[in-house]
Amino acid sequence: MAVDLRALGHKTWRTIASIQTGVVLLILVVILAAVGTVVLQRPATDPDEMQTAYSPHALRILDAVGLTDVFHAWWFLGLMLLVSLCIVAASVDRFPNSWRYFSRPYKYPDASFRRASHPQKSLAIADEESGLVAAQRALHSLGFKPERVVREDHFGIFAERHRISELAVYIVHASLLLIFFGTIVDGIWGWRGYLSLNEGQTSNAVEIREGTTRTLPFAIRCDAAGQENYQDGTPKKWWSKLAVVEDGRDVKKKEIVVNDPLLYSGVRFYQSSYGPNGKVDRFSLVATPSNGSGEKQEIGLALNDTVSLDADTTVRFAEFFPDFAVRDGQVYKKSNDLENPAAHLVVSSKKAGKEFDVWLPPLDEVADNSKAPYQFQATDLKMGHFTGLQVSHEPGQWGVWSGVVLIGIGLAFVFYVVHMRFWVVPVCDTKTGKYSLWIGGTANRNRDAFEQRFNHLVELVEKELKTVPKTSLSEQVVTVVGN
Amino acid sequence: MARAKVEQQQPTTGMTLIVLVGLAVAFLLFMAFLNVIKSGNLLSETNLLFATLVFYSGAGALYLGFGVTGTQSYLKFASLATWLGLLANTAAIAHRWYESGHAPFSSVYEMLLSFVWTLAVLTLVAEKKYGVKVIGTVTMPVAIVGVVLMQLLRTEVHPLVPALQSTWLHVHVTLAMLAYAACALSFALAMMFLIQDNLKTETVLAVTSASTLAIYASVVLTRFEKWGGLSLVAWNPESKSEVFLSRGVRLFVTVPDLGWLVSLTLLVVASPLVFYGLARWKNNDSFLTLANRAVFLSILLQVMTLVMFIVRACDGRYPLLDADGLFPTTLAASPFILSGLVGGVFISLLYLLLLWRRPDLERSLPSADVLDRITYKTICLAFPLLTLMIASGAYWANQTWGSYWSWDPKETWAAITWLVYAGYLHMRITRGWRGRRAAYFAILGFAVVMFTFFGVTYLLPGLHAYA
Repeated sequence: MAVDLRALGHKTWRTIASIQTGVVLLILVVILAAVGTVVLQRPATDPDEMQTAYSPHALRILDAVGLTDVFHAWWFLGLMLLVSLCIVAASVDRFPNSWRYFSRPYKYPDASFRRASHPQKSLAIADEESGLVAAQRALHSLGFKPERVVREDHFGIFAERHRISELAVYIVHASLLLIFFGTIVDGIWGWRGYLSLNEGQTSNAVEIREGTTRTLPFAIRCDAAGQENYQDGTPKKWWSKLAVVEDGRDVKKKEIVVNDPLLYSGVRFYQSSYGPNGKVDRFSLVATPSNGSGEKQEIGLALNDTVSLDADTTVRFAEFFPDFAVRDGQVYKKSNDLENPAAHLVVSSKKAGKEFDVWLPPLDEVADNSKAPYQFQATDLKMGHFTGLQVSHEPGQWGVWSGVVLIGIGLAFVFYVVHMRFWVVPVCDTKTGKYSLWIGGTANRNRDAFEQRFNHLVELVEKELKTVPKTSLSEQVVTVVGN
Repeated sequence: MARAKVEQQQPTTGMTLIVLVGLAVAFLLFMAFLNVIKSGNLLSETNLLFATLVFYSGAGALYLGFGVTGTQSYLKFASLATWLGLLANTAAIAHRWYESGHAPFSSVYEMLLSFVWTLAVLTLVAEKKYGVKVIGTVTMPVAIVGVVLMQLLRTEVHPLVPALQSTWLHVHVTLAMLAYAACALSFALAMMFLIQDNLKTETVLAVTSASTLAIYASVVLTRFEKWGGLSLVAWNPESKSEVFLSRGVRLFVTVPDLGWLVSLTLLVVASPLVFYGLARWKNNDSFLTLANRAVFLSILLQVMTLVMFIVRACDGRYPLLDADGLFPTTLAASPFILSGLVGGVFISLLYLLLLWRRPDLERSLPSADVLDRITYKTICLAFPLLTLMIASGAYWANQTWGSYWSWDPKETWAAITWLVYAGYLHMRITRGWRGRRAAYFAILGFAVVMFTFFGVTYLLPGLHAYA
């Protein structure tokens, strides 16, 4: 029974590690992802739009299966996990072999390897040593570091370059896993939200989605925000001056623009929108005494501000309507757009013990402006603005970015760094007693280019053979010691 | 005997085509020159684009001529025309860059400009470095379609909205263009491989007729209106954009009678496939002759449909589909139908080229083995580029929207493209897939690329609205 279990486990392992499983999983991911781009997706699409796009029955089915939110459905996550598992299994399955290949390079080719090897070439030589020296020099001139292999019954030369290329594919797979890991960390511990601030406002409550807020351990204050336009009126730049407030102190200040967020303790604040908030920032007026006995004065008010005009009289900015309408002696707000503004001022006189309502523009059916001790004229109205900030916390993104860098390096190695090996073995023909120099080589990719390189090496060796004198013992001794 | 005759004729026909193309290019440039004198503005972008189009068209014609006859002198002039076109194309890019102050990657128009440029460069590289001489036969027509599409799309310089003002955008889009051009090249090479690998001409017949059939069927199914009209998107000439009733809902006008013509063409385009089916079923090759005749007929009808479509849709006011009144439309409002119709003609012509000149074509192409290897090499180039494109896009998104991956359709399809090519590489490296299967895979990969590039932008909703 135990044996059966082990066999079963082995079989499962083999299935998971096989390339077929990997490809089938990839095809599944492709199909499901494609479906996810065709079917309208839940959080991104308004519920109303979904209702009009699909019949209630179809929508129920789609919702039940999870096709309206493919990329967050449990089965999609499960599939991604399976893919990761498959990558791990395939890598673990193949790694020992590659590692052996990497850690114990094959330095001396035996006779059967020599027969099958391609490309290969045999050159006639006078004696073993002169052939080897020629080969050594040729390899040196090509930038290799040839190594003499000396065993009890045979000897030759081995040279190689970029052995790391054999392991590059594992770098790629590992970096993919790192990216997956990062996204999973973000999926579990990360969050995204929205924060809207009026100029001058401070807040630490980020709206995660409709109705839920998240309280940050620090607060953000917007000191100023603005928009710059191109000549044709399309927005060119949005900016906000933000300050981080922690324990009542400003700990960090930054002017953010789109593409340049503020980062504080792992939370990022992105400029996302900007617009008028329908509130008055500053209302400028000229006040003239009604009896004509005083100077004109210029005053500026924010909503609910009170300013004294003389020792006896004060004025308060009581109400503001961006777009007003009057009905039955009452003022109503028609909309939040700055279309037809009206301001309500209250002038109070201590001596008379009276309050006078003043409306700008004058609204005779509501109040009589002329009774007030001062007459007012509006000169300027500055409206307040809000800045919309996208807030996100992505603790796993470092995994993602390091994975991305690593995958770039890995792919460069996989495709463009070639592991090349050359072997040179002097062979003595047992029948004729003549020596020849066997040269072989392999490359793990781009074999046609390698063959040209190989032919070049052979040419060089042939050239060297002509110049190398017959065996010089001293050279031989040096090289053996050198190894 | 017939063969000898053809070869005897070659020198004369060779000169004729070169002279004809040369005259056409000279004539068009002369017309353009008159226009320039009238407007007094030599180096405007329109002129540069026009020169690009003229030179690329000349190159395309000569490459086709070379593909058909194998005359070496065509090739020389074709390369020359490509060089000149590339020069004009570069100037157009530089002009736009200078005028807009940002790299030309922010709209479909600007990206097409860069895409065509990359394609021309890669064509020259493939020709000079790898000796794939007929590559221009496939890539130049693609470049021509690209330039024609550009003429139709909006051309004013649009200021960049805040989200697009990032260096990463340029990195992202440059990588995308390089990767897509490499994919296009691998597609062309895979097609050539299939020809050298003795893919049966009938099979090509079936595939090409099926694709043209698919084009016409989708046009008829989605756009045919009662009383034989064809509905097209309405166009607002002032704002130079489509007319939207509400978000994502376009206003359609009906061009009368065009629907009948398209349906007729659909029937004729379907007939080669029917004959092919009969030939396979009855095992009777005489049906294949009929099928080839039907292809010829279908090309005539397709050209007629294309001309009628261009004439009717180019300008004019047509009744609205859902309301009273007339509204204008233009070619730019229906880039898909237009490129579909042009593509249909092109596909059918390629089949005819293969049918009539296969032996010559086979002689001038590198061997199947070499093509297989170069296809693989171009994908080895495309895959890292795709990876970096996705990575730089993710980085940019993280800077702009606060999230590196949001499963937006364009992102998802880029990932799908990446997965398809990853599948190709795995099958090739670990399973030793060579030849046919690898070529089919390369073709599939390019189909996905095309969908990611065009299909997603126009068919699926998402954040990449400006690209």
